[in-house]
Amino acid sequence: MSLVDDLRSALSHDRVLEEPLELHLYSKDASMMRGEATCVVLTETTDEVAAVVRIAEDHRVPIVARGAGTGLTAGASPTEGGIVLSTTLMNDIEIDVDNRTAWVGAGVINLDLSTYAEPYGLHFAPDPSSQSVCTIGGNVANNSGGAHCLAEGATTSHVLGLEVVLAGGEVVVLGGEAPDSPGLDIKGIIVGSEGTLGIVTSALVRLLPLDPDVRTLLIDFETMEEATQTVSDMIAAGFVPAALEIMDQKMMVAVENWLHAGFPTDAAAMLLAEVVGETEAVTAEAALISEMAYKNNARGVELAEDEAHRAKLWKGRKSAFGALAQISPDYYLHDTVVPRSRLVETMDEVQQIADRYGLDVYNVFHAGDGNLHPLISFDASEEGMLDKVQRAGEEMVAACLRNGGALSGEHGIGLEKRDMMRASFTELDLDAQARLKEAFDPEGLFNPAKILPEGSRCFDFGGTRRPIPEGAWV
Amino acid sequence: MTHPGDIMRLEAEIAGVPADVLAVAPSTNDEVASVLRYASDSNKVVDVLGGGTHHGYGSPRQPEIVLSMGRFDQTEAWNPEDLTVVVGGGMPIERLEGMLAERSQTAVLPEVPGSSTVGGAISAGMSSLRRGRLYGTRERVLEVTLVTGDGRVVRAGGRVVKNVTGYDLPRLVVGAFGSLGVITSICLKLWPVPPAAMTVIVDDVSAADVVSRPLAVLESDDRKAVFIWGTESEVEAVSGRLRGEEIPGLDWPVDPAGSLRWSLRVPPANTSEAIAKLPGGWRYLAVHGVGDIRLASDSRQGAGALRSWAEGIGGRLVVTESPPASLPDFDPWGEPPPAIELQRRVIAQFDPRRIINPGRLAGGL
Amino acid sequence: MGWVTEEHPTDQELDACVQCGLCLPLCPTFRLTGKETASPRGRLQAMNAVRDGLFEVDETFEHIMDFCLGCRACEPVCPGMVPYGRALEGTRAEIVAQRPSASHRLRAFLLGSLLGSRGTLNVGSTLLGFAQMLRLTELAPRRYRRLTSGLRPLRGRSDASVGHSGGSGAAGSVGLLSGCVQDQWFRPTNRAAIELLEMAGYRVEAPLAQTCCGALAAHDGKAPEARSLAAINTPAFDGYDMIVATAAGCSAHLREYAHWADDGESVGSRSIDITVAIAEAIERGLLPRVETDNGEIGIQDPCHLRHAQRVTAEPRAILEAAGYQVVEIDPAGMCCGAAGLYTILQPEASQELGNQKAEQIRSTGVKRVASANSGCEMQMRSALGDEVEIRHPIEWYLDAIEAARTRVNVAAVKDPS
Repeated sequence: MSLVDDLRSALSHDRVLEEPLELHLYSKDASMMRGEATCVVLTETTDEVAAVVRIAEDHRVPIVARGAGTGLTAGASPTEGGIVLSTTLMNDIEIDVDNRTAWVGAGVINLDLSTYAEPYGLHFAPDPSSQSVCTIGGNVANNSGGAHCLAEGATTSHVLGLEVVLAGGEVVVLGGEAPDSPGLDIKGIIVGSEGTLGIVTSALVRLLPLDPDVRTLLIDFETMEEATQTVSDMIAAGFVPAALEIMDQKMMVAVENWLHAGFPTDAAAMLLAEVVGETEAVTAEAALISEMAYKNNARGVELAEDEAHRAKLWKGRKSAFGALAQISPDYYLHDTVVPRSRLVETMDEVQQIADRYGLDVYNVFHAGDGNLHPLISFDASEEGMLDKVQRAGEEMVAACLRNGGALSGEHGIGLEKRDMMRASFTELDLDAQARLKEAFDPEGLFNPAKILPEGSRCFDFGGTRRPIPEGAWV
Repeated sequence: MTHPGDIMRLEAEIAGVPADVLAVAPSTNDEVASVLRYASDSNKVVDVLGGGTHHGYGSPRQPEIVLSMGRFDQTEAWNPEDLTVVVGGGMPIERLEGMLAERSQTAVLPEVPGSSTVGGAISAGMSSLRRGRLYGTRERVLEVTLVTGDGRVVRAGGRVVKNVTGYDLPRLVVGAFGSLGVITSICLKLWPVPPAAMTVIVDDVSAADVVSRPLAVLESDDRKAVFIWGTESEVEAVSGRLRGEEIPGLDWPVDPAGSLRWSLRVPPANTSEAIAKLPGGWRYLAVHGVGDIRLASDSRQGAGALRSWAEGIGGRLVVTESPPASLPDFDPWGEPPPAIELQRRVIAQFDPRRIINPGRLAGGL
Repeated sequence: MGWVTEEHPTDQELDACVQCGLCLPLCPTFRLTGKETASPRGRLQAMNAVRDGLFEVDETFEHIMDFCLGCRACEPVCPGMVPYGRALEGTRAEIVAQRPSASHRLRAFLLGSLLGSRGTLNVGSTLLGFAQMLRLTELAPRRYRRLTSGLRPLRGRSDASVGHSGGSGAAGSVGLLSGCVQDQWFRPTNRAAIELLEMAGYRVEAPLAQTCCGALAAHDGKAPEARSLAAINTPAFDGYDMIVATAAGCSAHLREYAHWADDGESVGSRSIDITVAIAEAIERGLLPRVETDNGEIGIQDPCHLRHAQRVTAEPRAILEAAGYQVVEIDPAGMCCGAAGLYTILQPEASQELGNQKAEQIRSTGVKRVASANSGCEMQMRSALGDEVEIRHPIEWYLDAIEAARTRVNVAAVKDPS
C-alpha cells in the first residue's frame, strides 16, 4: 500500500493531507526556510502517533513533528521531505491541583494552559513571546524560554515527565511527579532535542502558584548603555526580577504604530522590568529598581497602573517581531546569548556589521540573561538581499561567540543554525551529540538534518559534508 | 593504546584504597583520558572518587582503579556579574559556596555538603534543600566537560545562563553516576543571595500556606520550619505572618544519620502521608512541596512495605547507604526505570566497555 | 495563471504577513480543525503561492478559502496589520472569476439582484411569515432549516423603516441604512434605532433611494454586484451628518466603502454602527440612563463589530445604561459561526461553532443576550431555541427606558443644547 493509504487506514481520511497546496502550507514554519512535505497527518492519540512512526519506518520516510509552526530556525520545516505530523489536535489538559502539575497534550497552546490553570491559582511559567500560539510540544522540543524564564528557568525546569513515542513506535512514559527519577534523565535530553529523538505526545508540567502581587515598570533611557547598566546593577544588588526586557528605539516605533502601548518612542532604549511576589517584596524591589534606574540617568520610570496596562505593555513586547512586517516584508532574527557583562560591546559590534552591510537592525532582547535578538528587516525580493542578510547574520553570530556567547538561547538550532555548530563545538563534541542521536534514532528518521551539521559523527569525517541545500532559504 | 606506565606516574595515595587497587589522581583532561583509555582497553572497573559521600548508591562492582578528582578542585572562572562560575569537578561544595558567599552569591547546591564535591553532587543528582523555590541541581548545570569511558574529551552546553545549543548533555550527566564520563569541569548558574533571611519554627507545615513560594519548608523528627529570604522589609513582614519562633538566618538541618540511609521520593502532595507511613524508629528530613524525603534507620524493617506504597503512587524508595551485604534481595533502586534498553544504548555511546562506576545506576546499569 | 481581476490581494497586503502565527489561536476554523490550511496564516500563504505562480486557483484553493468565516478575528491581533478581510474578499472575487460555477452564478444573482430588490424581498418575507405560521419552515432542507429556525416571527411585524423621516434634527441628521433582510426580518431593531435617535434629537431619514449595502456580495467575492449596490447607496446617503446601520455586518461594510465606490470615502468616513451612535448619545447626556436594576444580560460581540470595527465598549455601555449587569459570554470573542452565507455553505462547521457559542451562553446562566448583528442573533436562536431571549442592545435599551418611564423613574435627560 502507498504511504498515504497506510496512514489513512491508521488515522482517518480527513486527517491525512496530500493535496500539493495543502502540503505547501506545511512546508515551512515561521523561519525563512522551506522544505517539502510528502504528506501531513493530524494525530489525535498517542497510539496514532506510534502507528505513524511505524508506518514512516516501513516506508523509510522521515517524520517531522509540528506544533503551531512558530519556530524560527526551520525546526519544523520538512527539509528532507517526509511526513509532517501535526500535534494540534492533541490538546487534553489534566490538572493535578494538589501536586501543582498537569499532564498536557503536545498540541495544547502555552497560554491556553495558563488560562485553564488560572481558576486553580496556578500558571505555567515559560512564556515565549509566541505563547498565545505556540504549543507545549513545541516548547518541549525547543526548550523554550521567554521573558519570565530569567527567574524561573526555561521549559526544561518545568517538565517533570513526558510521554514519548520512540523509534520503532515504542511508547514510554518518563519521569513523574515524584522528584529525581532513577536512571538516566532521558526526559531531560528529549527536552530541547527539536523532535530529532522521538515524538513527544504529552508532557507532565510543573505549575507555579499565581503571584500574589506584581509591579511592572517601564523605564526609558537616553542610551542603551544606561539601560543595560541598570540591569547589571540589579543583579549585583542581590535580586533577580521576574523579567528584564530591553527594546531599542526603532523597535518601539514599530510596535507603537500598531498597538499604542505608550512606549517612549523618543528614548534610545526602554527597559521593561517586572517583579513578582509578596506585596512587601515587590514594593521594596520596585522602589529599588526605580532608584537604580535614576542613578543611571533614566529619563522616567512609569509603573503599570493596572492589569490592563500591564497586559498592554507585555503585548507590545511580545508582538515586536510581527510588528516589523509594517516596515519590510521579511525579517531574519538571531537568538544568541552572551554573558550579560558583554551585552553592550556585542550590540555595538552587531550594529557595526549591519552598517557595513547597509542593513537595518532592530533590537529587542531578554537583558537579564543576555539573550540578544538582533533582527534584520529586509525585502527578500530585492536582488542579492537574501545572501547579504545571511552573511551579515553569520558575522553577527560570530561576534556573539567571540564575546563568549552561545548560538541560541531559546529558538533552537534547527536547520538554520546547524552549520554554525562547528563554530561552537569541536568535532569530538559534535560526535558525542551525534552518538546520542544515534542511540535514539539509528535509522535517522526523526526530523533529519536538524541540529547537527552533516558529518558530525566522526566516522563520516572522510565523507562529503553536505551543506544546507540550495533553495532551502525562501 | 596507553601504556600502563603512563598511568603509573599519576599514582597517588588515597586513604582507604586497598593496596591491590590502582589509585590515580590525574590533574588534566588528557591524564583522565589516558587513565580511562587504559581502563577501557584492559577492561578495568574505575571508581571515580570525589568527596566519597555518595558511595552508597546502587550495586557497584569492585573497582580495580580508583580515580580521585582531588586535583580538579580549582575555580577556573567566576563572573559575578554574569551569575556564572566554572569549577573543576573535584571542587568541594563547601569551599565553593564559601567563596561565592563573599559576593552574596550561591550555586544552590546542598547546604550541608560535608566533603561532597560539585562533580559528586551532580553525578549523584543531589539537590539543595531550596529546590522547591530555586529548583534542583540539574537546573544549575550550564556546561560540562566530560572525559568519556573510551577517553574522549567532550564539552557540551555553554557559559551563559540560557542556552539551547545542541542536545542538553549537561542535564543528562546529573544523576548519571558517571556513566557518560568523568566530569572534569562544570559551569554553574549562580543566584544572588538577598540581604535578609529567617528560619521560622512552625507547629504545622500548613502554616507556610500564608507565604507565596517560601525558600523551603522542611520537616524533620523534631522540627518543622519555614525558610524565607528577601529584602529586609519582606522578611520581617512574612516572618510576622508565620507567627512562629524566629531564628535569624537560615538554620539548615542535617540529613538524619543511621547505619542505613534512604531516599524516599514521592509526589509532593504525598509528603505528609509518607512521613506518617514511616516505620517506627526511622528518622527523616522532608522537603515539602517537592516530595524529597531523606531517611535513616538502623534496620530494614518495614522498608518493603514502604517501597511498595511509594512505587504504587509513582514514587521510589532508594537505598543511599548500607553496610555491605546488609540488604540481600533488596534492589537498591527498586523497580527498573523505563526505557532501560535506550539507556543502555546511550551509555554504550559514551562508555562502551562500561568501566566507569558500573552497577551504580538504577536497573543495574 | 496568477490573478485575473482588479480585486486581487495586493502585494502590499500579502507582504505584510511574516507568518508569525499570532492569528492562529483566534481563528475559529483553525481551532476547530487544527489545520494550517484552515488558518489565516495558511490562507495568506496560499494566496502568496498563487501570486508567485506556484499554484493555480484550483479546487483545493477554493476549498481553503471557502472554509474561512471571514470573521476577521485575526486582524486585531496581527502586529503586521495585514488587512486580511480585504485580501480574502479579493481572493474570493478571483475564485468567482477563475472558477465560474452555477452556484456562484446563482449567488451572484441572489446577493446582487435579489437583496437589492425591496419588492421581491417584501413578497418573499411575507410568504416566509405565512410559512412560519404554518410551520412549513420545518420542512425546509436541513441546511436552510437552521436559518429559518433562527428567525424572529415575521407575521404581524411592524412597518418597514425605509422611507421614514422624522425627528427634530437638533443633534444633527442621520441617514439610516434600512438594510435588505434587516428591514424585513429585524424591523423592531430598525424601529428602535429610529426612536432612540429621534429621542436623542437627531433628524432620521431612511432614504427610499437606498439599497442593500452589498456586504454579503463583497464577502462572497461578488465584486461587481457589491460595486453596483455601493454605487446606488453612495448618492442616496449624500448630505447626512452620519450614516447609521443597525447590523454590524452592514456598518462594517459601509465604513469600507472607499474601496467599493468611486465616491465611497464620503460614505465610509460618515458611517457608524448604531451601537456607537447610541452609546455616544448616552455619553453626551442626549439619552437617559435607567436607574433600575434589570439583572444580568449576556453580551455577544459580532465579529464585524468587535474585529472589523474594534467596537466592544459601546454595546456594553448601552446595556449598562439600560440597567443591566453585563455578563461576558466569551472573552476571546470567537465567531458564532453565522458569518453570512457560511451557515448555508459550510453547515457543519457553522453548526459546530453555533453549538460552542450556545454552550458558552448556557454556562453563564443568563436568560437574556444582546447581539448587535442579526446574523449572529439568528445563529444563536437556532442553537438555543426559546431558552434565551436574544435581541439587539438598543432594543433592550429602548424597552428598559419605556419600562422605566411607566414607573416615572428615568434619570433626567440633559438638554441636548
